[in-house]
Amino acid sequence: MQDLLDSALARIEASQNLADLEAVRVEVLGRKGVLAQLSKDMGKLSGEERAARGKFINQAKQTLEGAYDALKTKFEEAALAARLDAEWLDLTVPPAAAITSPAPGKLHPVTQIQWEIEDLFRSMGFTVLDGPEVETEHHNFDALNIPADHPARDMQDTFWLEGGWLLRTHTSPVQVRGMETLGPPLRMIAPGRVFRNESVDASHEHTFYQLEGMMIGREVSVGNLIYFMKTLLSSIFKRDVTVRLRPGFFPFVEPGFELDIQCLICGGSGCPVCKHSGWVELLPCGLVNPHVLRMSGIDPAEWNGFAFGLGLTRLVMMRYAIDDIRWLQSGDLRFLEQF
Amino acid sequence: MKFSYSWIREFVEGLDVEAKDLERLITMKTAECEGVEIAGELLQDAVPAKVLSSVHIEGTHCSKAVVDAGKYGQRTVVCGAPNCREGITTVYVPLGIKRVAGVDSDGMLASTNELGINKDHGGIVELADGDVLPVADTVIEIDNKSITHRPDLWGHHGMAREVAAITGKTLRDHVNLELLPALGGPVNVEIEDFTLCPRYSALVFENVTVQPSPLWLQHRLTAIGLNPINNIVDLTNLLLAELPQPMHAFDREKLAGGTIFVRRAKAGEKLMALNHEEYELNPANLVITDAAGPVAVAGVIGGLDSAISATTTSIVLESANFNASSVRKTSSALKLRTDASMRFEKALDPVNTTRALARALELLPVLSPGIRLVGGLCQASAELKTAPSIDLDLHWLARKLGRVLEAGEVRRILESLQFGVSEPQAGKFTVSVPTWRATKDVAMPDDLVEEVGRMIGYSTIDPVPPLVPCAPSFDPPEREFLRAKRRFMTSRGFNEVSNYSFISEQEAARFGFAATDHIRVLNPIAAGQELMRTSLLPGLHRNIAENAKHFDQFRIFEIGREIHKRGEEKPVERQHLMAAVFAKDDGRAGLFELKRTVESLASGVVVKPLAETQSWQHPTRSAELFWQGQRLGVLCELHPSLLDAGRAAVLDVDLTLLQEITPAATKYQPIRRFPTSAFDLSIVTGTRELAATLEAAIRANAGVLTEAVEYVREYQGAPLPEGTKSVSFRVVVGAADRTLSSADIEAEREKIVAGLARAGYDLRV
Repeated sequence: MQDLLDSALARIEASQNLADLEAVRVEVLGRKGVLAQLSKDMGKLSGEERAARGKFINQAKQTLEGAYDALKTKFEEAALAARLDAEWLDLTVPPAAAITSPAPGKLHPVTQIQWEIEDLFRSMGFTVLDGPEVETEHHNFDALNIPADHPARDMQDTFWLEGGWLLRTHTSPVQVRGMETLGPPLRMIAPGRVFRNESVDASHEHTFYQLEGMMIGREVSVGNLIYFMKTLLSSIFKRDVTVRLRPGFFPFVEPGFELDIQCLICGGSGCPVCKHSGWVELLPCGLVNPHVLRMSGIDPAEWNGFAFGLGLTRLVMMRYAIDDIRWLQSGDLRFLEQF
Repeated sequence: MKFSYSWIREFVEGLDVEAKDLERLITMKTAECEGVEIAGELLQDAVPAKVLSSVHIEGTHCSKAVVDAGKYGQRTVVCGAPNCREGITTVYVPLGIKRVAGVDSDGMLASTNELGINKDHGGIVELADGDVLPVADTVIEIDNKSITHRPDLWGHHGMAREVAAITGKTLRDHVNLELLPALGGPVNVEIEDFTLCPRYSALVFENVTVQPSPLWLQHRLTAIGLNPINNIVDLTNLLLAELPQPMHAFDREKLAGGTIFVRRAKAGEKLMALNHEEYELNPANLVITDAAGPVAVAGVIGGLDSAISATTTSIVLESANFNASSVRKTSSALKLRTDASMRFEKALDPVNTTRALARALELLPVLSPGIRLVGGLCQASAELKTAPSIDLDLHWLARKLGRVLEAGEVRRILESLQFGVSEPQAGKFTVSVPTWRATKDVAMPDDLVEEVGRMIGYSTIDPVPPLVPCAPSFDPPEREFLRAKRRFMTSRGFNEVSNYSFISEQEAARFGFAATDHIRVLNPIAAGQELMRTSLLPGLHRNIAENAKHFDQFRIFEIGREIHKRGEEKPVERQHLMAAVFAKDDGRAGLFELKRTVESLASGVVVKPLAETQSWQHPTRSAELFWQGQRLGVLCELHPSLLDAGRAAVLDVDLTLLQEITPAATKYQPIRRFPTSAFDLSIVTGTRELAATLEAAIRANAGVLTEAVEYVREYQGAPLPEGTKSVSFRVVVGAADRTLSSADIEAEREKIVAGLARAGYDLRV
């Protein structure tokens, strides 16, 4: 009997794989297996012998099942390991070669910088407004204190449309629309596409993007303006920037300023980027001219404010050191995919 | 505008700031400087030199001259000028030794052009007795745009006033009004409309000698970019650039009658101007006339016939003031911008008409020795109004600037700029505005904020965040809507492009758009940009064609505005999304990708194939998109003729409409508690029967148990007859309250099959 058990055990342990093992299991532990045969004969035995046989069978069953389970687990683990090994994948292959679902596309760099500035001003309680690209002479010029025969109109070469309309030369008309519709107090910015009738070359475009900003309140000072400009520019350039204001003439502000930032390339000591002046002219701004407030139905005795204009296209060019402005409107993916 | 440093220094006593530093100070406190340069660089080392001998060098056009070059001693110079000859006094410039025409030439003999005195390069300078060589000057160039609001800064005296205020020095005034004669000259002046010409002053001179100006004057004018012509014209230009007061000199003998009229031109009146162009005038133009007709366009240009010439002996010297906007309109209508019109259109100070004549009285005897004034001052003038004074509250001023200010400091600044200041009440100034700032520049307290602010320097103001009520800010829904669409498109693999708002007539024609449907640009920058786009397609098509040269497949999109004509009303702008999938394949994948894209933007969008397509669309792969019953856009393949290779699927969605449409409210369906069953149906039909039509037919014949009808596949080929296809659908059936029996399912199937058979459909069994 013991021999029977030993040989069964040996056969289990000799199994090379799951199939062998299963065959042995049927032969040894199955319904017609060796143990089953031993149990069958038990009825013929005496009480004592029967008890001894029963005990033996139970022990043998445990032994054989234990051996079987251990080996089965071992084979299963090996099989899994083998399968997983076969699934080896080169993850350094570019995804496009392996799947059909496309990689995310890129937002236009102007959109990206526009959103960045929108988010900054939203966080400071500003409303982001939009306005039409086709404007009236009133909103683009007159309401901004630039009457028809004003020499300042020479500064902005205008595209005129049939019907007396024009393409906005700046985003400033949205200021007027903001004041007209929302009234004071007001904190707003207005990003958008603007048009100037000038010849296109590497640094000039007839179509570009600006961002206009305005704050109207009971007491708004030049100090407040400088605060917002510093905050804006530090956020854009991701570092503390030094700014300076100097007089600049724009009919819709009084006083008007040109804001320069200390050259980020040379730190102010002078380089070709800043034309060796140490400063780069960045944006016009000023306190809103009382005439402009009055024309938009706001009483300048009660309210005042500041306004500024920022060239988004110019910022994109500066941030990425883009050599030719025409790429931005080219639709060329070799350019657009870089951002 | 160019400013001569030495000229400014004549007005500012003891100016000790160098030009380079002055440039920075002016930029920070007054107006933007564009650069500093030396005017007449060679003059720095030049000396008068007598030609001791001059010998022609064989085989060249040069001569070898030996000159006595004063402090440089005797020098030998090779000179190419035809007038180089023994005995003349010319100008020598040391430049080192250079071998010219086989001779060591030590320096050069210079022409007035080379020295920066005038444009004459016909030969070397010939100095007459008493001629003094001018000294080199430094010129500061100011950006014209930064002084459009400052008429006073179009002259050196005005800029000198700024410099004096900035540096704390005293300003000199060269004008001596006591030189002016009493009213009552030999010429009458009649002004038709004093709003167009508030003041016209003139003096008459005789015994005039027209001759070149002294070299210093020529050099001064050349330095600031004006051309020396003769002593009389140069005088007028000198005062134009000094006060500033544009003037004009008429040859008195060529004026008809004894009266000068200032009036609107008559329609069709003509003037042959100094530039030898003839201008046809109309009543919008103001003219100066004599008894015979126009002799000048007021404030713009003089006439040729009455101009002074070498033979002129008697002149009428005009010094007038004209309405800024009238001059500007005339100058733009005639397309003629002159140094005079550029200044008049800034609204010049009328007081300067007589100030300029007083200066002329002082300078003319020097420029034209022997000249005699005839009679008194010829003048017609409106009463010159004093500008109302401005009340300036110092507390208000400090709040505007955001900085504490001392009353004494504010007073000092305003007075240095020659504003009159009184303080009737502590902390409240009454400020009178000088005439040269009162024409349009300074009229309200805000203008004084600028005067004080720029002089204290904006760098002295600290940045301070404002105190504001804390409340959510209004956020127009369109902003987030468009952002979400852009984000969605990039997440789907599309790159954002940006195209111009202009298209050409050819492009419009290419896509079958009628040019008349577009708003026209009246002054397009170039051919090809004359129409405002009514579709993003032309731009996107160009992007596809260009990128196809570099990429085998790509996805792009643009979100931008279409601009549509609306009769007399303001054009309407609609935000559109246009997307394209380009690939070199059979084009199916791109179309279905875009279909899925639009389904994600507008859940439940209905695609209706177009029976009649546009010329730019694939004739059998084009559809309109409908959502909630409204036409939302187009899905189609670009007509293959528009591309060299590959295929482009295109999607156009009207985002303005998409945002307006409220999506249907979500209706919750309780989750089935009992399992559903399904069976397939295959319908054999013509190859161009639409799946949507078949699906609708199944739904139309289904009973309450049918829960869903799903497209499975279609098949063409044996054993189906030619020209047919089999389309399979899966019908899902179920009930809310029980598990369907096979009899229930069979009954539903029979119902549908019978219905389809009645409708004439051929079921494949």
